[in-house]
Amino acid sequence: MSSKINGHVSPQPCPHLLVFRSRNGPKPFRALKDCIRVKPPGGRAAIRREPTEVARCGTCEESSRSRLYACVACAAVFCHAPLLHSHASDHSLSIPGHEIAVDVDRAELFCCACGDQVYDRDFDAAVVLAQTVNATATTSTSGSTAMQCSVAGSQPENLRKRRRVDYRPWEPDSGEHISRGNQSIPLLDAANASLVSSTQQPWGLRGLNNLGNTCFMNSILQALLHTPPLRNYFLGDRHNRYYCQQKNGAINGTKNSRLCLACDMDALFSAVFSGDRTPYSPAKFLYSWWQHAANLASYEQQDAHEFFISMLEGIHEKVEKDKRKSQSPGSGDCCIAHRVFSGILRSDVMCMVCGFTSTTYDPCVDISLDLEPNQGGSGKSSSAKSLNSFNVEADCMRPNQNCGISTLKGCLERFTRAEKLGSDQKLFCQKCQVRQESLKQMSIRKLPLVSCFHVKRFEHSSIRKMSRKVDRYLQFPFSLDMAPYLSSSILRSRFGNRIFPFDGDEQDASNDLSTEFELFAVVTHSGRLDAGHYVTYLRLSNQWYKCDDAWITQVNESIVRAAQGYMMFYVQKVLYYKESENQGTS
Amino acid sequence: MKHSVNRPPTPDAAEDQGKEPTLQEIINVKLIESGEKERLMELLRERLIDCGWKDEMKALCRAHVKKKGRNNVTVDDLVHLITPKGRASVPDSVKAELLQRIRMFLMSAAL
Repeated sequence: MSSKINGHVSPQPCPHLLVFRSRNGPKPFRALKDCIRVKPPGGRAAIRREPTEVARCGTCEESSRSRLYACVACAAVFCHAPLLHSHASDHSLSIPGHEIAVDVDRAELFCCACGDQVYDRDFDAAVVLAQTVNATATTSTSGSTAMQCSVAGSQPENLRKRRRVDYRPWEPDSGEHISRGNQSIPLLDAANASLVSSTQQPWGLRGLNNLGNTCFMNSILQALLHTPPLRNYFLGDRHNRYYCQQKNGAINGTKNSRLCLACDMDALFSAVFSGDRTPYSPAKFLYSWWQHAANLASYEQQDAHEFFISMLEGIHEKVEKDKRKSQSPGSGDCCIAHRVFSGILRSDVMCMVCGFTSTTYDPCVDISLDLEPNQGGSGKSSSAKSLNSFNVEADCMRPNQNCGISTLKGCLERFTRAEKLGSDQKLFCQKCQVRQESLKQMSIRKLPLVSCFHVKRFEHSSIRKMSRKVDRYLQFPFSLDMAPYLSSSILRSRFGNRIFPFDGDEQDASNDLSTEFELFAVVTHSGRLDAGHYVTYLRLSNQWYKCDDAWITQVNESIVRAAQGYMMFYVQKVLYYKESENQGTS
Repeated sequence: MKHSVNRPPTPDAAEDQGKEPTLQEIINVKLIESGEKERLMELLRERLIDCGWKDEMKALCRAHVKKKGRNNVTVDDLVHLITPKGRASVPDSVKAELLQRIRMFLMSAAL
């Protein structure tokens, strides 16, 4: 019954709205549109006949009613409180054709006869236009809705429609013929087949020896070895280490040029997926990584997340020099690391004084999330300081949290919530030409193939001048829908209840990829900030496996749910579901 | 708005019925005219989000809609549903803070 705009259901008009529209010509709300007033901080749209009008009910003359409606037909304002007295309803009953009204403080249409909200596309379009005109710098009077971007052009390059290529069945070329013959190892021979079926472990599960506090590396490597698009890339021989070294050796004879983390990854994939179950020592990989990240080259304990970022950078660096592909940030065209992990974050900074919003887009390979502040403890906004005794009561009100359980979704909600930057963090406003207090909001413009969430489990106390680890449990789902955190959803919620499609919508729709993700790896940390141990849990064929350096064991999912997540890896569901089939039978 | 709309004459409160505006009315108008009401509303919205009140009300509404069916619920139903619970569950700290702000405003407006 309801029609869909960009996947959002738009409600059908009520009979009174239909009658009103048919009776009032092609532009029934044109007079109303002139009364849309937008208040700069927050950009709320209100309806006022004059800008300074104090709205009050025409019958009871009260201005302090919580719901005031202006009749769209005659512009008279009435209060509406259905159980006590509704002068708006009285009005609509007394004069036929005067059922449609508009909430003066929310600029939302209402039918007094039906007692329910109604929607009109043109009216919503006008409200959104008024709100966005206010929020962007326009030197002309055209009132365009273009937002300022740091990426060249009005639309990020990577979101332009990709040209489709005709299907051609694959045939190995001469180089591939050679490498197939010389360096391939059979995946399934008699010995391996019996091994696989007897242990019933999926392909690619192999312990990694700890080479001296290298669990930070082993844990990340295990996650990467089973990142579906990355695994497919390397197992599909998309980066052949022999070919690459041959090429690099020919260009520069020096040792350094032969450093290629992608080649080392290729070797690792070959070793781990060979079918050999004895634990593998990734010594060559460690050595290569040390050369890349010289400052971290030691046997001291390192941070797994730092290693992850450094590794991706390493793969990107080497590959970038070889290829001359488009370098638009976030497109993932540069290297496999970015193709898999790179998404685009959108940051909106709104001036609290004039409402001007500046938007920037930044590529990101992961999202670092803050844990929710301590329940009933310290560390919330300074304005709550004076009400300390009430803090416990206030904080325990969170309905999602059952007094203390933080969730990944909660962290994402906080990440995308509009945040008032403190008065010590004033940002420069282009319209005001001075530093002003601002409101900042993050959202996700483009989702990566694989989303990596990094939980900031360290707290720095400026008083004690030290950092400590936060062990608080974080609940994370096995399936995650990222839709509420997309720019289109966040923008939509700023404008209230509108059915008008937004600037962000088109791009998301043309992406064709869904917003649903499946968890496939969890890197956990136990211990202190300076001394601890990393363990990775992998989800293969819907079973969970614990990878603790050289020891791999199958575990129950409840163990994983209870684990202290430090980094969680989610892959787009469309790339994952095939994993649930039993790999042994193919 | 001045063209093509049938508009009844705006009733002039003081002149028409000779009714004295209540103190609440006077304060409300002062708050609106000075822009303080808008600031207080923004503050209130922020506090009610922070303490989870908004999420709780949203959850109540969702549960009700799930029970009754999406096409059988009106805005008035929802307002009727959450108003008593909503009013009762505003944390005392939020009430205290807003009252304090209003008091400060009244003192500065020398009413």
